Amino acid sequence: VRSGAELIRHISNHERTDIIPTTLDALDTLLGGGLQRGKLVELVSRRAAGRFSVVLSALAAATSIGEAAALIDLGDHFDPQLAEANGVDLRRLLWVRPRTVKEAVMSAEMITATGFQMVIVDVGLHPLRGRRAPDAAWVRLARTAEAHGTAMLVSAPYPLTGTACEAVVKGTFSTPRWLGRGQSPRLLQAIDLHLSLEKHRHMRPGATAVQPLLAWEGVDARRQTSVVVPASAQPRSVVESTSRRVAEGASPTEAHQSLPAVNPSKTRRLDDSKTPQATHQPLAASRSTTRRPDDFNTLTRTPRPINTRG
Amino acid sequence: MTRIACFFVPMFPLAARLRSEPALLQEAVAIVEGNGANAHVIAATRRARTKGIRPGLSLAQARSILPKLIARARDAECERTAQEALFEVAETFSPRVEDAGEGVVYVDVTGMERHYRERTSDNRQPTTGNTFQSELRMARAAMQSAEGVGLPARVGIAASKLAARVAAELPKAPTIVEAGKESEFLAPLPLTRLSPQLDAASTLTRWGIASIGDLAGLPESEVASRLGELGRELHYAARGIDPRPLIPKPMPPEFREGTDLEWPLVALEPFLFIASAALDRLSKRMEMQGFACTRLELTLGLEPDGFYSRAIDLPAPTRDVKTMLTLLRLDLEKTPPGAPVVSFALVAHPDRPRRTQLSLFGPAALSPEKLATTIARLVSLLGDGRVGMAMAVDGHLPERHAIGAYAPPPPPVTRRKPEKSHGILGVRVFRPALAVEVITRETEGDTQITAVHGEGDVCGNVRVASGPWKVEAGWWSDAPAAREYWDVELDRGGVYRLYQSGADWFVDARYD
Repeated sequence: VRSGAELIRHISNHERTDIIPTTLDALDTLLGGGLQRGKLVELVSRRAAGRFSVVLSALAAATSIGEAAALIDLGDHFDPQLAEANGVDLRRLLWVRPRTVKEAVMSAEMITATGFQMVIVDVGLHPLRGRRAPDAAWVRLARTAEAHGTAMLVSAPYPLTGTACEAVVKGTFSTPRWLGRGQSPRLLQAIDLHLSLEKHRHMRPGATAVQPLLAWEGVDARRQTSVVVPASAQPRSVVESTSRRVAEGASPTEAHQSLPAVNPSKTRRLDDSKTPQATHQPLAASRSTTRRPDDFNTLTRTPRPINTRG
Repeated sequence: MTRIACFFVPMFPLAARLRSEPALLQEAVAIVEGNGANAHVIAATRRARTKGIRPGLSLAQARSILPKLIARARDAECERTAQEALFEVAETFSPRVEDAGEGVVYVDVTGMERHYRERTSDNRQPTTGNTFQSELRMARAAMQSAEGVGLPARVGIAASKLAARVAAELPKAPTIVEAGKESEFLAPLPLTRLSPQLDAASTLTRWGIASIGDLAGLPESEVASRLGELGRELHYAARGIDPRPLIPKPMPPEFREGTDLEWPLVALEPFLFIASAALDRLSKRMEMQGFACTRLELTLGLEPDGFYSRAIDLPAPTRDVKTMLTLLRLDLEKTPPGAPVVSFALVAHPDRPRRTQLSLFGPAALSPEKLATTIARLVSLLGDGRVGMAMAVDGHLPERHAIGAYAPPPPPVTRRKPEKSHGILGVRVFRPALAVEVITRETEGDTQITAVHGEGDVCGNVRVASGPWKVEAGWWSDAPAAREYWDVELDRGGVYRLYQSGADWFVDARYD
């Protein structure tokens, strides 16, 4: 370095590479580029949906650049098929399934000390399994992350880390968007996650952003294969029943007969022995309109390779 | 010319015992052989010897001299593991090693002194110093290595096994006998050095022969005519000629540590305290050979008789004592032996630790050894099947998953930009699926879900429902699955994935 300008440029470049982006625009904007190495960021949302999608995107981004990542999955909620479809390189991901918060924090500390550059602790849904970890444990975890330059994300239904975290992003609420109106059948299109920056040591809190999360038909192959248009919306006789009543009172045959009628011509049996192309024909595609994928207000069905594993 | 190094551990039964019980190093300890009235001392520590305890005393005599004498019986398991440890130390100097038993090991170190030459001032190039100094340096390094595994070995280097053995037995170790000077070295030594159990010693003493040099000075044919073939061999030995070749022995395929306990153990903690020391010794031995443990076998001797064996497969090769001890503790807590323990043996099956080359410009790679240790510790903390690499599984049921051994590929050579995420809505899978009560409204041929009653947040009236999607999988198997899936948005928030199987309803995921 020969001049101050070079020094500033060098520091700037260094700082830029010190961030692992989640590649979700809204979250990256709130956090100033993404998850900073050596810092602990907490993502909190109790009611709002989309927290786990953020986790998957962060894992996909980290593994795509060749970093070793670890997911401490307290609730045992991880779906490998979906994660792979979301771009997560499963070979670089260490999946840990603790039973309590204490085990999760201990596991995270051990993994961070090993040298993993991205560690995500997802403590699951409310109520948490096991008692909360003491604040000192989170502080120790944050210090371990700082010592090893690990980008750490804690995903929780309510704040856990206290003063140990660099930033807190809160999912305030989420709004699902469905396709179809009136009496027509519905199809989940997307969920808009509203995020707000609750705390940041170097940025002014209070900023908000909306992150749309698309429901991909590849999430579940059944959508490709057996989307059934419910029968017409003209109710003739209405019978209200509960599943418990059916389970206790009715025979399996009766229960089977009580299942909603479906059009056999529009359902397909998912069978390994059948031809694979049978699973490649989305029945719902004929009734949907394909538009540009960046227009979230419209139906988005981008042509992607379909997950034949379902 | 061949150069042989001899590792010799004086008072080997005592040294082996002290290696297993280092706490006794500063105590007055005697190793006893035989039972009852026949029990006699065969070795004693320096502290005991200063009080007058000598080999050959009966145990009763020894106790009358020193009432606080700690007597330990000779332990075959200890001696075997100590001999193996000595063999492994020797094997780090040369692959040609002969195990002579009872704390004696011969190594062919021909040409190995070149690695111990004195370095130049910049510590880069070895000088062309004399061989004697290089061999002396090598012998000191050998003694230091043996000290590292808890054995106070002496080392002697000579051109023959016999001369090397005699040199190693001398108190001022290490002793180097220069090539071609074996007879000069042996000449002033007493005949008992030649062979402690010499049958012809009394005969030779009557002849007036006191030293090895006196014997070597006699004509060979005359000695042979009077003492026979034994006399000829003795004469050769006195002149430093040893016709016996070195017979190399391969290293044992596994590492073993164990001991007999003084009293039966009934609690886990005291046993783990002793096992920890044994694991520590195992770890050091494996480290010396560049190995790590991939499978740990434990054999417990039970009272009054019988054995109890356990085998623990480690998730990855490791030398971390804490990890192995934790796995041992968990295994014994899960399946206790059921009787007091009187002896134990730990056998470590070695494997090469994982190695990888680090990149200068790409992301930092994980240290394979640290990773293996961490995974082993995580497995010991969380249990089997809870740590590893998630694997996508072929099939049609959404809850399918598999977990395998975590072995990440090496990172890319250069840094890459992250790929843009698809921004796909994720699902939290519930394992197992939550049973719920679903209220449905049926019209003719149609089913509409109106409410879901489950635990926690999975409860409320349905705002929007989408479905059903039929999934039928494994119809050819014994456990077929025929389900109808629904996506429902509840008025209290949250979009859930429900399915009906038979008459029962389950929530198997939340869109999150």
